[in-house]
Amino acid sequence: MNASRVRRFIAAALLPSVILYALFVFVPVIWSAYYSFFNWSGIGEAKYIGFQNYAELIRDSVFWHSLKNNVIFVLASILGQVPIALVLAILLHKSNALQRFMRASIFMPMVLSSVVIGMIWQYIYHPQIGILNFLLDALGLGSWKMQWLSDPDISIYALLPPLIWNFVGLYLIIFISALQNIPSEIHDAAKIDGVSGARKLFTITLPMIWGTIQVAIILCISGSLKSFDLVYVMTKGGPAHATELLATYMYNSTFSTYRYGYGSAISTAIVLISLLFIGTSQWLTRRKAD
Amino acid sequence: MKKRFILALAIAVCVSLLAGCGGGQSADNDASGGKQEKITLTLWNNWSGQDAKAVAMRKILDDFKAQHPEIDLQVEALATDGLKTRLRTAAAANEMPDLFVMWPGAMTKEFVNGDLLQPIDDFLNSKPEWKNNFIPNALDDFTVDGKTYSVPMNLAPSSLIYYNQAIFDQYGVKVPKTWDELLQAIDTFKRNNVIPIALGNKANWVVQSTTFSTIADRVTGTEWFLKAVAQDGAKFTDPEFIKALTYMQELGKAGAYQDGYNSIDENQMIQLYTQGKAAMFIDGGWAVASLVNTASADLLRNTHITILPPIEGGKGEPQTTAGVVGTGLGVNKKLTGAKKEAALELFYALAGPDGQRATLDSSTLVSYKIDVDKTKAHPLFVELTELMKNVKIVPVYDSKLSSAAVEVINNGLQDLLMGGKPEDIAKRVQDAQAGAVGK
Repeated sequence: MNASRVRRFIAAALLPSVILYALFVFVPVIWSAYYSFFNWSGIGEAKYIGFQNYAELIRDSVFWHSLKNNVIFVLASILGQVPIALVLAILLHKSNALQRFMRASIFMPMVLSSVVIGMIWQYIYHPQIGILNFLLDALGLGSWKMQWLSDPDISIYALLPPLIWNFVGLYLIIFISALQNIPSEIHDAAKIDGVSGARKLFTITLPMIWGTIQVAIILCISGSLKSFDLVYVMTKGGPAHATELLATYMYNSTFSTYRYGYGSAISTAIVLISLLFIGTSQWLTRRKAD
Repeated sequence: MKKRFILALAIAVCVSLLAGCGGGQSADNDASGGKQEKITLTLWNNWSGQDAKAVAMRKILDDFKAQHPEIDLQVEALATDGLKTRLRTAAAANEMPDLFVMWPGAMTKEFVNGDLLQPIDDFLNSKPEWKNNFIPNALDDFTVDGKTYSVPMNLAPSSLIYYNQAIFDQYGVKVPKTWDELLQAIDTFKRNNVIPIALGNKANWVVQSTTFSTIADRVTGTEWFLKAVAQDGAKFTDPEFIKALTYMQELGKAGAYQDGYNSIDENQMIQLYTQGKAAMFIDGGWAVASLVNTASADLLRNTHITILPPIEGGKGEPQTTAGVVGTGLGVNKKLTGAKKEAALELFYALAGPDGQRATLDSSTLVSYKIDVDKTKAHPLFVELTELMKNVKIVPVYDSKLSSAAVEVINNGLQDLLMGGKPEDIAKRVQDAQAGAVGK
């Protein structure tokens, strides 16, 4: 086979998934952007209203509050999940029985559905029978007890531990595979040169897996911007929008208040904001890598 | 490494796409086919639970299937919130099932405006002994522009106080007959470390439906509310409405509810009561069906039902509770011929006299004039039916307001109970309703 035939084969093999992707991801995004110019309750006539939905969106304090909550989620993911996963990966990337067991247990939450995770943490935080408040009492820290999910000032932060706990396993696995992909010659060379410990970590290991860290950060950003299920199960965006995220707000606007046009405007805004975030992060991490 | 990761990502994308395709429409609605002997009927309902009413309805469906082998009845049972969302989504795609459980008032109106329903007047008129046996005004909320689209299959007062007489006696508290007595009762329970009123407001409609709608009606009167809904001569920024919100907030400030009420749901709220930790809870008539299934016999003996006390100087009638005539069945506009006949037959089985009887026997109130069988029914349910004979139903907020305003008031009430300003909340409700009505 010559090069052009190989290329043609690759193109042909990719075609089905490209078509599927275009049909089920790209087209709906465009479609929803189109709906965002209408005032539509989902039933009956849709009325074209130009940019009115966007004008309302910009003035909508709940939208900005949701965006702020999403930024908190993104930061918690990047500053929580990635470093924790990285440290764990460095500790656990060899394969003895204990490490395999630890890896499996850390990965466990990934396998559970978010609904289950939401339920578990709801009971941990439960105002009457919650184990967290019970433990605080038992430790004599009764004054630290809080209404974790009901108090609008702290409920968004109470959602972060389940979020981090849920996804840390994914990044752990990604980082471990990256670590195992570092060629052993490099480790040997490092040993010969007498490099070890922290110096080896910062001059060899981290630079070698920097590309993976970049990908992990992008996954973190896109994953956190899409967050929905955990919050929907645990608080439904409440109390009084305190834990509303862009996605839950979009869902509530579309399917609870039946404003399909406005919901579509929020979705379109989510797409734009995600692109902006990911573009920025790529730019930032590329600069660091240089 | 990068390549492998991309490959894995590509596979993941493909798999998730394929999984997405799998759930597509496989059931082909062959309405006009006619060649097949078998008629396919689809029915969506919310009888998915283990409560007595759902069990009774499922039994009717099973009997219907057994009696009609020529009908292929495809039933989908969903949780209530899920069903509402699903219906809306199906309505947007114009893929409604043949028959579906439908809510009176706002939802019926919107589906009629969307040209999705067919009226059942002819069918109703062909069975006058059935039609004329509904309680007064029962069909109003299913009637749009003079045409009737369904009949109620139950009756749902949404705002009743369930109280534990033993706890009241223990602390020498009388069942409150005035607002002040209610506040005093709350204070007494609170001082004795008993939860005065259990509340689960995570799904944020609970406070609005079970408590605020009645308080607001007591203060503003029904007439004002209907005017404000139509945005015709009254506004939610009017002083009456702000006063109603202030009363609601007073309950919160008095410590009527246990800690963390915004993070538990309606079932957990009833649990707090059945565990004997709370003296009262406020919930709809539907709670009886689950209460008699879950509470101990001892607790049930001590449980009684009353309505919220009158509010002095309010414009509303005191002997009332918020509520709606219950859900009905929507009939898809597209149905014709044999399929329509089959659908109406099923309609009659579920909502006709036998269906109403089965519903009543399952400890659920009906909007149909039949008497409860006192020898068979649970005493608590008998008490409820006796109470309802002297209590009028006034509109619950979420059955009249636009969907957008409902969402705003539900969130607003959570905000209110956490200390939000009544004026701000009133303004948000007003803006949402005005926007939806188009004024």
